[in-house]
Amino acid sequence: MAETEDTGANPVNEPLDLVRLSLNEVVFVKLRGDRELQGRLHAYDSHCNLVLGDVTETVYVVDEEDEAENVRTVKKQSEMLFVRGDSVVLISPQQ
Amino acid sequence: MSFFGFDTNLPRDQGAQSGSRGMFDSHDPFAGLSRDGDDAGEVLDFEQTYDGLGHRLEESGDTFNDDTFGGDEPVTRAQVGRDFDFAGETAKIRDTLLEEQALHHARQPLPQARAPQPARTGYEAYKQPEYIPKLEADASIWGKPAQRKPAEQPRQDNAPKMMSLEEVEAAMRAQSRPTPPAQPPQDVQAQTLGLKNMLGLGSTPTPPAQPHQQPPPPQFEQRPPQILQRPPQAPHEQPQPAPDYNLRTPHILQRQHSPAQGRPQSQDFHGQPPQPMQFQQPPPGMPMGGPPPNAPRGPMHMAQAQAQAHAHSRGPSYNGPPITQAQQMMSMTAEDRETYLAEEAKRAKRNHKIFLLSKNNGLMTPQDKNFITRIQLQQLLTATGGVDNEPGSEEQLAEDFYYQVYAQIRGPPRSGPGQPLNQFAQTYLFQTGSRYGYGRSRHHPRGGDNHVQRMEQQVARAVEAAKARPKNKQLVMEGSLGKIAFSNSKTPRPLLNIKRPDSAAQMRHPPKPADRKTTLRDIETLYSTLMRLEDHERKLPPPPNEESDPEVIEGHMRWRSEMQELNEQLWKALKVMEPIQPNPTVPHPFIQLLSHSKGKKAIPRVFRHLDDNQRLTMLTLIVIHLDILDVIRDAYPPQDNSPIPARVKEEVELFSQAIIPPLLSYINEAPLNIIIGLVGLVLDRVHVQIIVRTKIGISLLTMLTSRAELVRQQQQGTEEWQQWTDLYSKLFDTIEPVLPYIFPTDTNISASEDVHVWQFLATMGVGATPDQQQRLVLGAKDRVMETVTISKTLPEEMSQKRLGDVNLFMRAIGLDVELLG
Repeated sequence: MAETEDTGANPVNEPLDLVRLSLNEVVFVKLRGDRELQGRLHAYDSHCNLVLGDVTETVYVVDEEDEAENVRTVKKQSEMLFVRGDSVVLISPQQ
Repeated sequence: MSFFGFDTNLPRDQGAQSGSRGMFDSHDPFAGLSRDGDDAGEVLDFEQTYDGLGHRLEESGDTFNDDTFGGDEPVTRAQVGRDFDFAGETAKIRDTLLEEQALHHARQPLPQARAPQPARTGYEAYKQPEYIPKLEADASIWGKPAQRKPAEQPRQDNAPKMMSLEEVEAAMRAQSRPTPPAQPPQDVQAQTLGLKNMLGLGSTPTPPAQPHQQPPPPQFEQRPPQILQRPPQAPHEQPQPAPDYNLRTPHILQRQHSPAQGRPQSQDFHGQPPQPMQFQQPPPGMPMGGPPPNAPRGPMHMAQAQAQAHAHSRGPSYNGPPITQAQQMMSMTAEDRETYLAEEAKRAKRNHKIFLLSKNNGLMTPQDKNFITRIQLQQLLTATGGVDNEPGSEEQLAEDFYYQVYAQIRGPPRSGPGQPLNQFAQTYLFQTGSRYGYGRSRHHPRGGDNHVQRMEQQVARAVEAAKARPKNKQLVMEGSLGKIAFSNSKTPRPLLNIKRPDSAAQMRHPPKPADRKTTLRDIETLYSTLMRLEDHERKLPPPPNEESDPEVIEGHMRWRSEMQELNEQLWKALKVMEPIQPNPTVPHPFIQLLSHSKGKKAIPRVFRHLDDNQRLTMLTLIVIHLDILDVIRDAYPPQDNSPIPARVKEEVELFSQAIIPPLLSYINEAPLNIIIGLVGLVLDRVHVQIIVRTKIGISLLTMLTSRAELVRQQQQGTEEWQQWTDLYSKLFDTIEPVLPYIFPTDTNISASEDVHVWQFLATMGVGATPDQQQRLVLGAKDRVMETVTISKTLPEEMSQKRLGDVNLFMRAIGLDVELLG
């Protein structure tokens, strides 16, 4: 295959290049603070700052009033979202 | 003197008697004893004269102390009484003291006799409201020892008589203090001004500083003798150092005022009496009763004179002789007087403005300013990395890609952000340099200029260092084990130096069936190559002609060969030439590329870099894989008439926006044989009945057949014409059974977007034989009737649109919806 010819253009040289493969794809992003995002990855940088489009944000909230400590989820929709990298725990391609 | 008529003065006491008695008002306890001695001149022995009274003191016998001294009531001023009068008594001998002090200081070397200065840090001085550090400048600033003016002598004599005790004591206190060098404040101010000058503010004098720079008036006007010993020419010289710093061009100023004189003030000082300055710059405060030029003046006057000097230096118009006397004023013509008064008014206004501005003076210390200037300088140098980034160079692009591209798009020949910066830096340096050179030529390098000089040197060094900085980011010292990496804010020092062995990278990816990840990787490779190509394209050198330098032509050739190489890489990255497997388990890599939206988006960008042959190859590849294109495979209408998923619709939309136009532009110029070949391929290798039910499939077929119809009409009767007619019949026969089903079924007819189907039917109808037209109408009849019926129930606008769509087809076969009633 063509990978043998041009190593200069080889897109995967470092870990973040794997994220590059998910550009313009739907990704699953786990964030600190019990949050999860699902959206199309438009851009990222070395700090894992992300720009996502058509995002569904899921927040897990623990209701501590009850003894049972029920976990309920709050969902939010955003057309476009900038995620600061310091809160990103993981980025995973959807599917 | 003696109570008993004896002469009580001992020989050793005689000198001190008059002084000591007044001072302490106490008599010598042993003085009386000396009476007993026969010989007044004899040396007394303590043991012989001591009466031993001390031994008889009762240490405990203080019982009545309270009665004697007033008990334990609080000691008040009244109780203390006025039995002693230090000041009063001391005043008697004041004259002697002063004389002695004056004498003492007169004997001292001059520099040490400098005025007592409170300035230790250089800043207390600014707190004094009328402080003029320049006045404290020692005479050596002019490179020669201070000259004492005879005119000063009378004042020295007068001075002591005017002094009060407090002043004397203040003087004594001042004396006891170590004399601080006069340098710091001056230095500091020069620094400030030097910095201001560097920053181009130099032309604005800093008159606001003046009120703060005057020495405390008491010290000045009622001088203690030792102050009198300071460089006595100070009053005359005061204006001189001031313009040196505050005005950029003191001697130009003077030329303005007295063109006849035409010599710098500093020269006056050497040879001429020091009065010209005062003649030239009349104090505005007293234009009527001008004092004699040589009369001693307070600092206030001098400050005014200075202020006026500033005003004058900038005053544009009044060039007549300066006015010091009222008579002069009277003797002037009315016009001149008016001009003069207007000038005065202007000056006053300006001074007021300056005063208003001055309220923020001293907020920042010179050190602060210095600090900030240094930071700015540093940033100035690091911003460009010190390296001259040509606009459009790679560094520039890397630094600010979007701005660069934007600037290119915007068009106006701008030199990019780097250019003005560099120019600024240069101007900056140039200004500083010239200013410094100018300053040095005027007075010998000391004090204030040092700082400017240091600053300038620092800049120069930084520039040098930045230029000398090696292009590669590392320096390997000989004999050392490590590498030194340079870093700045733009290119941080790499902490990890990861080697990327090329061979290993190749080993890591053995050829394997194209999965999703491989496809993604391929797409990224494609984009990387594409971006490098576009980058290279931006660097297109100007086209060479006959007169161009060989270098230019060579550069152009090199550019073209690189372009060629990149083009090949791009073509490879596109994966079009991957072998087509007869029974593929996975789709062709190129088709895989197209299955991602980012892959689709790349096509129009890639397409313009491809040559005709490559375009045809690509088109062929697409055509033979039509039925596995995601936009066709996934968009096939489901059995249950459920709508096509939104995601697929988006992809279809993207395909028709991104890929169809370039293909269309190619097909619209293709000769008939190519169209015949392509349609043949479609019929051979693709399930036409399937693709015709999808939007993309039908669009592609429309493209091909419409082009064929256009070309066919020009080539009627040729062999190709015959070929096409056969092919068309074959196509028609294939499609005919599915004609009723080619319309989208996911929505009802009224909302259906079926214009592309009508277009296709129209294209088929144009080339159809009457028999085929008949069959076409039969196949589409139901849909036509339904649409016409429904359009009657629709609002006017939508109705028109629906009927217009149908008419595309109807008119192609010579009919019209109107005929259907």
